[in-house]
Amino acid sequence: MVNLTIDDKKVTVPKDATIYDAAKSAGIRIPILCHDKKLHPFGGCRMCLVEVEQMKGRLIPACTTPVTEGMIVKTTTPEIINARKLVLELLLLKHPVDCPVCDAAGDCDLQNLTYEYKVNTNQFTDEKFNHKIDYENPLIERDMNRCIHCGKCARICDEIVSFGAYTFINRGIEAKMGTEFDGPLNCEFCGSCVSVCPVGALVSRPFKFKARWWSLNKVKSVCSYCGTGCQLTLGVKGNKVLTTVYDENQGFHNGQLCTRGRFGYQFVNSDKRLSTPLVRKNGRLEPATWDEALAAVAEGLKSAGSDAVAGLVSPRLTNEELYLARKLFKDVLGSNNLDHSAGYAHSALSHGAMESLGFAASPSTVTDIQKSDLLLVVKTDAYETHPVLGFEINLGVKRKGVDLRVISDKKGKLSRLPKAKTYVYKPGNEILLVNALAKVIVDNNLTDPSAMGVAGLEEYNKSLEGYSPAQAAEVCGIAAEEIIGLATDYAKADKALILLPLGLGYPGHDKALAQALINLALVAGKIGKEGSGVLIMGEKNNSQGAVDMGVYPAGNGKGATDIIASCAAGATKALYVVGENPVVSYPNRKKVADALDKVGFLVVQDLFLTETAEKAHVVLPACSFAEKDGTFTSVGRMVQRVRKAIKPIGASRSDFDILNELSSRLGGASFADSSQVFVEIAREVAGYNGLTYDKLGDEGALVPVAVKGRFVPVAASPVKAEAGKYALVTGSALYHCGTMSRFGQGPMHVCPEGYAEFSREDAAVLKIQDNDLVKLTSAGAEINLKAKVNMRMPKGVVFAPYHFGEESINNITDGSPVTWVAVSK
Amino acid sequence: MIMPLLKGLGITLSHLFKKPVTLQYPDEMPEVAPRFRGLHALNISHDKAKCVACYLCPTVCPAKCIKVEAGEDENHNKYAAEYEIDMLRCIFCGYCVEACPVDAVRMTQTFELANYKRADFVFTKDRLLEKK
Repeated sequence: MVNLTIDDKKVTVPKDATIYDAAKSAGIRIPILCHDKKLHPFGGCRMCLVEVEQMKGRLIPACTTPVTEGMIVKTTTPEIINARKLVLELLLLKHPVDCPVCDAAGDCDLQNLTYEYKVNTNQFTDEKFNHKIDYENPLIERDMNRCIHCGKCARICDEIVSFGAYTFINRGIEAKMGTEFDGPLNCEFCGSCVSVCPVGALVSRPFKFKARWWSLNKVKSVCSYCGTGCQLTLGVKGNKVLTTVYDENQGFHNGQLCTRGRFGYQFVNSDKRLSTPLVRKNGRLEPATWDEALAAVAEGLKSAGSDAVAGLVSPRLTNEELYLARKLFKDVLGSNNLDHSAGYAHSALSHGAMESLGFAASPSTVTDIQKSDLLLVVKTDAYETHPVLGFEINLGVKRKGVDLRVISDKKGKLSRLPKAKTYVYKPGNEILLVNALAKVIVDNNLTDPSAMGVAGLEEYNKSLEGYSPAQAAEVCGIAAEEIIGLATDYAKADKALILLPLGLGYPGHDKALAQALINLALVAGKIGKEGSGVLIMGEKNNSQGAVDMGVYPAGNGKGATDIIASCAAGATKALYVVGENPVVSYPNRKKVADALDKVGFLVVQDLFLTETAEKAHVVLPACSFAEKDGTFTSVGRMVQRVRKAIKPIGASRSDFDILNELSSRLGGASFADSSQVFVEIAREVAGYNGLTYDKLGDEGALVPVAVKGRFVPVAASPVKAEAGKYALVTGSALYHCGTMSRFGQGPMHVCPEGYAEFSREDAAVLKIQDNDLVKLTSAGAEINLKAKVNMRMPKGVVFAPYHFGEESINNITDGSPVTWVAVSK
Repeated sequence: MIMPLLKGLGITLSHLFKKPVTLQYPDEMPEVAPRFRGLHALNISHDKAKCVACYLCPTVCPAKCIKVEAGEDENHNKYAAEYEIDMLRCIFCGYCVEACPVDAVRMTQTFELANYKRADFVFTKDRLLEKK
């Protein structure tokens, strides 16, 4: 620790702090334009100049000068104020000062400082810039005339997003922030640059001219796309969510968001939102009153009988609603036929982790990523499914020197990080490869002493026969030495963390793979330490909560697959679908659609008239996350508060209200509001004990776990390649999450339809180019997708995302990890 | 006793020969001061409203009677797609004129604002543009 004096205040800070940090910790504000707490110090704007007693004669930039013992710092002398005024005059010399039409006004650092330092006149005169404004893309507008050259956009894009879309081009007075060949912006559109821009040089186009910053009501909530659990601040005006507001002090991610979180909020106020209940009359869905619809639902569910009623509930709901849904089925309807996410997208947690670790959650948390020494990522898709965790990986690799290893069936953005090593295996061989890694550890006596006491070790060692690196190498297509090298590095790393992304797009990533990975972590002694373990990344915002609330079949209950099968067989007479869209997201579209057609009474409760809702007998309009209070639990087991920002759209009601009303109509318990349900959750659900809304606060609370690991041997099932066919692997696109993001304009601007990615070699053989329409055929069904040709795909492998309703990929998939498809033009 | 009475009548009598302070409105119209704050008008420049929809007038308005919705024109510029003043709420303080950074709104000398329907007191952009 270092002691220094700032403005006659004694301050003690760590020795790696700068004068700026020290002043901030003492509550002294130093004005600055080029600084963000997530970025490295830059020292570009010269606003933070201070006077240091020991360095008299010149002014010192506070943001880049480290503190030294006994430093005496003055932050506001007349000389410093004059210097800052001069900096502002020079910036305003070229700045257009078009505050009345600039969206940044009110939240503009330059405007605020100009006001604070009373810069009314300018001793210099010069012409303004006349740069062309980039209106080309639908999400980010770049007006370089307003730019003050702080370089934050370039730095955040490079340091955190690792995309590198911007850089300074030209020199001197002609210098400006440029893009590739000074052309239009073509990037991931995460909008990080917009969030840090201190002026209005970068503005969000979906929010352009919608409202002034000061008129927005700012409501803190949690993003409702992936399971990362990013906190966000919604900018609300007139019962509309107009934007997301950047707050660098929010969450583990310091306000950093991805493209969905930042630009995907429009589904909340979409014109397509259902605004009234619909009841099928004479074969058509007709508007009805709530009373009529709810009476029909209550009657329909009750009359089906407890064995013939089933539910599919989306993990997008809050914990309170999921708990109510579980209670409605178990206690009121007497049925255990309740599931979510096609039954497999949660089984890694609900069954895999449950058996292997004794609890249905990840043993690690999100903050472990940057504390680790080695990250073993299963599939590069971890970046696409959970982009903000991807940013954490970027930061770990670039700042903390984390050794990144990826085992994947294709390369991806993570493969391009410095020193990252990607081991590309043949699709479907994940478990085989993981078992081979464990075999190397066992055979080379690298088994951690802590594994000796874990139950089932002997049996596990025996089960690894037949997974020698040489055998695995042959099947996986990775050299045996590489497998040995990876296993040795993993075992020898002091702290090593495994990341496993899940989701409806990844049918192979279920219970077996999670258990194989937990075995690997156990045998190497990596569970139960900080910066180590396994992080199982559930796909949806509340995937972890759905598992915690027990929304999966218990006892003799049917899982999602069985529910669909029993619908087809006529055994399930009433199906209650809450927020799920099985027709598009579950494997085998034809089977699911036929099954739903056969159900005697289908209720769909959703925000939109989805493909599934079109088949329903009763459609209940529900509310989005912005219209309700509750909690979400993130992949890192963080329980966080979701706050109501707007009133329900139209006549829609929150899932809480609907489930509560149904429960009371059917003679079950009813609650006054979600906080009452949370009280019961805190009493009933393990890990949530003692939690209250007040205790959660803005930060949220971590659900504790106690590891009781045991080895559960897992056998790899062989992948049967079909000659002349291509291996189709499915997954998430970076811009989408589930099927809800289709209703957000932001994601749809960038990625409006499905596509199929091919390697260059395959494209040359098939004679296809970018945007050519290709036909993928499997098991008698075919779909036509636009082709994308790139270098990340290995030969013989095709990738397609699953989110889209038209030409949906589930027409040809059936839930196996790899689908063999014939490709033609 | 009689003297105060006569004195009072004298004052009354003297007023008969003075110019009356009242005005025979509406037969006679008052002379309105140049800085009178009457009905608002939107200024025009190059055949377009000068307003750039900066929202400063609704922000400063103490009666919350101004409603602005911004739009983006074909040149990507900001303009007021909607501009409404609710005269039933307006207190004619003139802060909107003071706040306007582009001299787009002024107050005219029109003070005859009576009308039959409440809806007629809401002055839309078109109505405000017509005022000279």
